[in-house]
Amino acid sequence: MSRRAWMWIGGGLVALIIAFNSLFIVDQRQQVIVVKLGEPVRVINPPGAYDPGLKLKIPLIENLVVLDKRNQALEAPQEEIISADQQRLVVDAFIRYRISNPVAFYRTLRDEAVAADRLQPLINSSLRQVLGAATASQIISSQRAEVMANALGDIRRRAARSHLGIEVVDLRIKRADLPTANQQAVYRRMRSNLQQQAAQIRAIGEQNRLEVVADADKQVTITLANATAQAFATRGAGDAESAKIFASSFGKDARFAAFYRSLQAYEGAFDDGQTTMVLSPDSDFFKYFKNGGGR
Amino acid sequence: MPWNDNANPGPWGSPPSNDSPGRGGRDAQPPPTPPRRPPPSPPGGPDLRDLLRRLMDELRGLAGGYASRDMRRWIYVGIPGAIFFAWILTGFYTVQANEEAVITRFGGYVGSVGPGLHYHLPIPIEKAEMVAVTNQNKTVVGGAPGAPAPDESQMLTGDENIVDLSFTVQWHVSDAAAYLFRIRDPNDAVKAVAESAMREVVGHSALTPILTNGRGEVQNQTLVLMQRILDDYHAGVTIDAVQIQNANPPDEVVPAYQDIARAGQDAQSYINEANTYRNRVVNEAKGTASKITQAAEGYRQQTILEAQGQAARFNQVYAQYRLAPAVTRERLYIQTMQTVLSKSKKVIVDAKGATAPIILPPDAFRPKSSDNAAPAAPAPAAAAPQEGQQ
Repeated sequence: MSRRAWMWIGGGLVALIIAFNSLFIVDQRQQVIVVKLGEPVRVINPPGAYDPGLKLKIPLIENLVVLDKRNQALEAPQEEIISADQQRLVVDAFIRYRISNPVAFYRTLRDEAVAADRLQPLINSSLRQVLGAATASQIISSQRAEVMANALGDIRRRAARSHLGIEVVDLRIKRADLPTANQQAVYRRMRSNLQQQAAQIRAIGEQNRLEVVADADKQVTITLANATAQAFATRGAGDAESAKIFASSFGKDARFAAFYRSLQAYEGAFDDGQTTMVLSPDSDFFKYFKNGGGR
Repeated sequence: MPWNDNANPGPWGSPPSNDSPGRGGRDAQPPPTPPRRPPPSPPGGPDLRDLLRRLMDELRGLAGGYASRDMRRWIYVGIPGAIFFAWILTGFYTVQANEEAVITRFGGYVGSVGPGLHYHLPIPIEKAEMVAVTNQNKTVVGGAPGAPAPDESQMLTGDENIVDLSFTVQWHVSDAAAYLFRIRDPNDAVKAVAESAMREVVGHSALTPILTNGRGEVQNQTLVLMQRILDDYHAGVTIDAVQIQNANPPDEVVPAYQDIARAGQDAQSYINEANTYRNRVVNEAKGTASKITQAAEGYRQQTILEAQGQAARFNQVYAQYRLAPAVTRERLYIQTMQTVLSKSKKVIVDAKGATAPIILPPDAFRPKSSDNAAPAAPAPAAAAPQEGQQ
């Protein structure tokens, strides 16, 4: 093979290396800082502009720093925070941020690992400040959204003050729970609360039972009383009817009736045969006993 | 298919030796025997390298210097041509039925295409990234059955109770480009947002509705809140459903909850007992009442009938009496006295002119059954204080 051919090949290789070193593709997910001898000179596809594509740089002299342009998450380590009403809460939060000023980010933080190290304390101090000013019940329930909004505002200010080149998009509290020791207290309270409810349910049952029993007893008494009243009336009616019958028949001759009835009474009264009678021979019965022929 | 390899990270695609590290060792040291040919600088897939190796074998057979001029021209033109042709082929790609391909040209978004066989400009220029858009994704929070995650599942309710709650989120990618370009870790974001949203919603609710009939409300609110947050992030994700799998009171208070259920049963049984008692007693009372009134009614009828009978008897006697009053009267009297006296013991005392009390023998008062009593006491001279004796 000839020397010329080798030169062609060599030249082509050099050209390729130079091309590789000067041409680069910027994805739209990325933002790229072109650094010339350690000094950022320009940003390609920066936030707020849409400029991905095939780009040029000076080979060997200019280097690239590729940063993410997307919204990304950062978890804050779990932290125990004391609320305004002295309750301890275990708080777990995350932020979502994007790199809004790549040059500032590159100058202060260099890369995402450092960014995480710097941001996590910021998140914690924001949470401490904002949650420390709210009561536990506000954090847990009533004003959770407001508390998160306040914390977001606070961390945004802190990030801006530190010139991190970061825009915090959102801060959200994941967990805001009681530490284990306090959980036991909550369980105790829940249990006693439930026991109270159970006792009340039973007491109401007992009350219903007594009410029903009392009502039943009342009904019994009333029923019997009504029956007795009716019975008296019935008996009275019978007595009245019999009196009327007696009156209507005996009334025909009162003297005879009295006589007749008395005779019946005597018969009935001495029917048992246990009576010893002491009689005078003068009595009417013995009228003929002494002087047979009679008067 | 190597020409469809979209994970290719380098700006120019990878040089062939990096593309397939398994073969890189052999290619990195070309066989020494053939004359040195220019290495294939433009990128190509592994099938290119197969082709190349076969060419090398042929060259080796021909031995350096003896190859004809035609052959050389064929090599100089044919090899780059074949490489170029293969490179052009890398633009073919298939999109599966459940996917959408997002096409970028030099990293910039140019469009999305649906399922089928498609072509884009070859690899470094254009790339296709597949996103499974019709897949239902499922994110589980709070642990699955058998794999509890109390850190995720235990949360505080609005009335400061603790509930153990696990749920799943079903979601799909609704905007493939946003899903790829706007947010770095969409799957993790969905989970983190789900946790945060569920805790916020549960924090607004009391415990009892979460355990009983308020689940649907909690699910809906969480879904709406999640969707709002993810839309804020432009995540390109649509939440289809939030489904609470389990919502229980924590284990520590479950016995107390069971006791509540038992208390309800107890209360019900108290009431049942009382109803049983009432039914029994009231019905008994009705029976008794009926007995009383019936007895009274019986008495009434009995009295009336008796009266009627008496009256009839009297009337009959009276009718005879009217016919002969004196005789009847006398007869009745004597007859009655006979009946009376025949059954009784009798002491007849003639007290006329008696001055001292008459002492009757005690036998006179003995019950009649002794039977040897009571002839008349012969005490003619005695007063008769009968009442006193009796």
